[in-house]
Amino acid sequence: MKSYLATAARALATTFTNAFRKPVTVEFPDVIRPRAERYRASFALLHEEDGDEACIGCLQCERICPSEVISIKAGGKRESPITGKKRGYADDFVLDLNACIYCELCVQVCPTDAIVMTREPELPAFGREDLVLTMAKLYANEKSKHRAWGDATRLNGMQVPPKPPKAEAPAAVSAASATGAPATAAPSARTVAPAAAATPASSGASSAPASATALPAASPPASSPSAALASAPVPPIATPGAAVVPLPAPDTAPGQGPAGETPGTAPAVSTAERGPVPPDSSREGTS
Amino acid sequence: MTALRTVQITRRVDPHLSIDRYDPEGELMLLHFGPQHPSTHGVFRMDLYLDGEKVVKVVPHVGYLHRAVEKLCETLAYVQITPIVDKNDYVAPMTNEQALNMAFEAALKLEVPRRARWMRTIFAELQRIASHLLWLGTFALDLGGALGGGSSVFLHCFRERELVLDLFEEVTGARFHYNTHTIGGNRHDLPAGWSAKVKAALDIIGPRLDEYEAMTLENRIFLDRTIGVGKLDAELALELGITGPILRGCGVDHDLRRDAPFHAYDEVKVNVVTAQGGDCLARARVRFGEMRESVRLVRQMVDAVPEGSINSGKPVKLPVQSKIPPCQVYVAIETPRGELGTYLISDGTQFPYRLKIRPPSLHALSALPYIIPGGTVSDAVAILGSVDPIMGEVDR
Amino acid sequence: MNEGLVHGAVYSVLIVTVVLTATAMALWFERKFAARLQTRLGPTMVGPSGLLQPVADLLKLLQKEDIVPEKADSIIFNLVPPLAALTALGAAAVVPFSPTVVASDLDVGVLYVLAIGAVTVLPVFGAGWASNNKLALLGGMRAVAQSVSYEVPLLLSAMVPVILSGSLRFGAIVQMQADHHWFVVWPFFIGVPAFGIFLLAMLAEANRIPFDIPEAESELVAGVTTEYTGMKFALFYMAEYIHTIVASAVGAALFLGGWDGPFWPGLHWMVLKTLLLFTVVYWVRWSLLRFRSDQLMGLCWKYLVPASVLLVGASAAWVVFR
Repeated sequence: MKSYLATAARALATTFTNAFRKPVTVEFPDVIRPRAERYRASFALLHEEDGDEACIGCLQCERICPSEVISIKAGGKRESPITGKKRGYADDFVLDLNACIYCELCVQVCPTDAIVMTREPELPAFGREDLVLTMAKLYANEKSKHRAWGDATRLNGMQVPPKPPKAEAPAAVSAASATGAPATAAPSARTVAPAAAATPASSGASSAPASATALPAASPPASSPSAALASAPVPPIATPGAAVVPLPAPDTAPGQGPAGETPGTAPAVSTAERGPVPPDSSREGTS
Repeated sequence: MTALRTVQITRRVDPHLSIDRYDPEGELMLLHFGPQHPSTHGVFRMDLYLDGEKVVKVVPHVGYLHRAVEKLCETLAYVQITPIVDKNDYVAPMTNEQALNMAFEAALKLEVPRRARWMRTIFAELQRIASHLLWLGTFALDLGGALGGGSSVFLHCFRERELVLDLFEEVTGARFHYNTHTIGGNRHDLPAGWSAKVKAALDIIGPRLDEYEAMTLENRIFLDRTIGVGKLDAELALELGITGPILRGCGVDHDLRRDAPFHAYDEVKVNVVTAQGGDCLARARVRFGEMRESVRLVRQMVDAVPEGSINSGKPVKLPVQSKIPPCQVYVAIETPRGELGTYLISDGTQFPYRLKIRPPSLHALSALPYIIPGGTVSDAVAILGSVDPIMGEVDR
Repeated sequence: MNEGLVHGAVYSVLIVTVVLTATAMALWFERKFAARLQTRLGPTMVGPSGLLQPVADLLKLLQKEDIVPEKADSIIFNLVPPLAALTALGAAAVVPFSPTVVASDLDVGVLYVLAIGAVTVLPVFGAGWASNNKLALLGGMRAVAQSVSYEVPLLLSAMVPVILSGSLRFGAIVQMQADHHWFVVWPFFIGVPAFGIFLLAMLAEANRIPFDIPEAESELVAGVTTEYTGMKFALFYMAEYIHTIVASAVGAALFLGGWDGPFWPGLHWMVLKTLLLFTVVYWVRWSLLRFRSDQLMGLCWKYLVPASVLLVGASAAWVVFR
């Protein structure tokens, strides 16, 4: 009997102490919880810096989507009203958010960083039709929602850091070993990525899987079962290559990408304060 | 695997005996427990044959959540499958993805870079903490009621689980279905300052585990409800293919992290937690011990993540590029529920010929007809809670 | 006689109104209190700080469809919910809320309260039986077993203030405590254990955690109330709150001195003590897990009943040898 009373008293004391902790409730929708930089909640289609639509209608996102929620009407090659060059366009782009599983694969495969995810979700609606993102809505989201940090270049850059030019190799190594953040310090980040991807044989057949940074000599650990296979050539994966549009060099400082992230510990911001996002001059701007 | 130490069971119930043999006059009451029920951990039906309050026979029925995932995967390219299997064990998605991608990497004979392997280990251990916190909350709900002490424990556990999910949100951008693993490594690298956040979160979670112990493991009422309830002997567990905390709660010292190391487990020491008794309390003790062990492992590893790339493959641009040469491969990892295995047969195209997932919870549920009879209805609920099935991976 | 009738009628209406209003406030109080124990906020949107939440809940339950299962015993099924609420109210008739505010100060007040406590089992069992639902039936059977068993320690522990004050009348019991000491203060070695047993038995009678196995939600969906919808469910729900409030008032009158206080005795002390007991009941509810039914029975017959028998003997000895 005594143990019942003792342990019951202990449980009562535990809940009592909890009564004096600050409530963890976030009073949505008056208070919006700050989301991480990379939070993926909805989508936006982007324009280039020169105002031209970034989407070239290559249909890669439509093909890679596991849930087949993207429907694109490719527009064929047309003259661009801004640069005058012939390039592909998408006549219609529909993304059905009802069936989307938010896997970010479409963002990863886009060759022109046209589709990105946003940090704010769509508002709840009364009908399923309202959650089908039309092209107009997607382009509107470019202005009205904060972008997530990840676009195709950054995601691919995280996975396969671009090889720095030979002269900068020591600097790149030291930069990369700073905080473990991937090194996208090279100013020609955009142009290097296709270049690196276009030479799979050279980077893939290198001895260590990590090409850009120097690993300790005894990589991989001895107990790894496939130590002997470490030097086997990685099966070459072909690249799309052809449809990549040469992009103007980004005007942002190189170190701003990953190193410029702020930890998501900003205090909760009310909706009144937030407001729509002013047009960003830099695509990679962290907002 | 060390020697078995079995729990002595004098008489084992034969679940295949038909009810007519038990009860020729039809005096037992048949109660359908589920599939709509506040505490069946998903859609799951148990037919309980009751003699008053005592359960005489149990017939479990699964399949209410079957979504034909394995068939669906036969029509998806390898790179598209990862977000789909996220939804199997929806409480621990990281380990789902890891089991799957490890199978692909084994088929391709692809070596995962060391940094990616460390990151996968840290993610798996953090996921273990989150999954066991959810188990604890729902177990307390089963025992104590949604309007009562159980819900206090439940909400406290979820408050801590949110911290872990916030950490994952920092890295991958998603709180729940991450799609952060890919063939050859990971997709998202650790952002700056992540390890400090991890340690801050663990500083909160660690002491709170003591609070949860005070409200559950050391609570007299909890002990009354779980001691001696649902005794499972080790021999039966091994026969049925049960792994994970349930097997370790029967005293069998078997953990894939130590016995068949994957990721970076060969570089760290994993203290495997076992308990004697095979009852609900033993399983609860094992899970608590695993939570503490995971906290210790993550703390040890998060500052020492090696540099390097996180993917030895290339990010795939088109589904047709992800071809795997014809082979058969089986790869298993230790998830919070036990051994999750992926069996892949590929025929050289970009789609798998057969992708089979071996879920640990399915084997755990097959023990129910043996361990529930003899107890009361309340015990059935407690046993189901301690077995911790996730119907998403049972039914796929 | 006429005067007494008018007096009783007026105060009955008053007390019923107050208790029902207190029920509505108890809804709000419980949700806020439980929320604080779980580090969250509770109702905040309906009314200032969620004060109108009970109104919102009532309106919601009123507009739900009223479903009576086809094979259910519809007479009992429909009769039982208001009966549950009314029988819970019945015990409030004899509790003295202040030296003058009492609906009917019966000479056998304590006996009346215990009899009402026995009657409250019947609607629960009726609901379980009439629902034609195995889960409800299980809940009903458990409820009968539990309530009937816990009547015994309830009765025996209620005998302690009766013996110490020498009367079954509530007014006399409270007066005795006002003149001398509250029974939990002196003799505390008899009063405190008796109060503890009374509290536990009261929790079991009201089907509160840790004794809420008849309505164990994780096992029996909603126990006896599984098949009830709309206003009938609301009546069962209210009956729980009424039962808790009235039982807290009874406990305050029997052991904690009723309307007596260190200064300015009166109604406010009674309200305060009822509130205190009510808070304790909910604090226990939101912190502890529930017993299994056989463990519940074991606790009652193996621990509480012998202890309360001893306490009755001790209080008798105290009175004789004081």
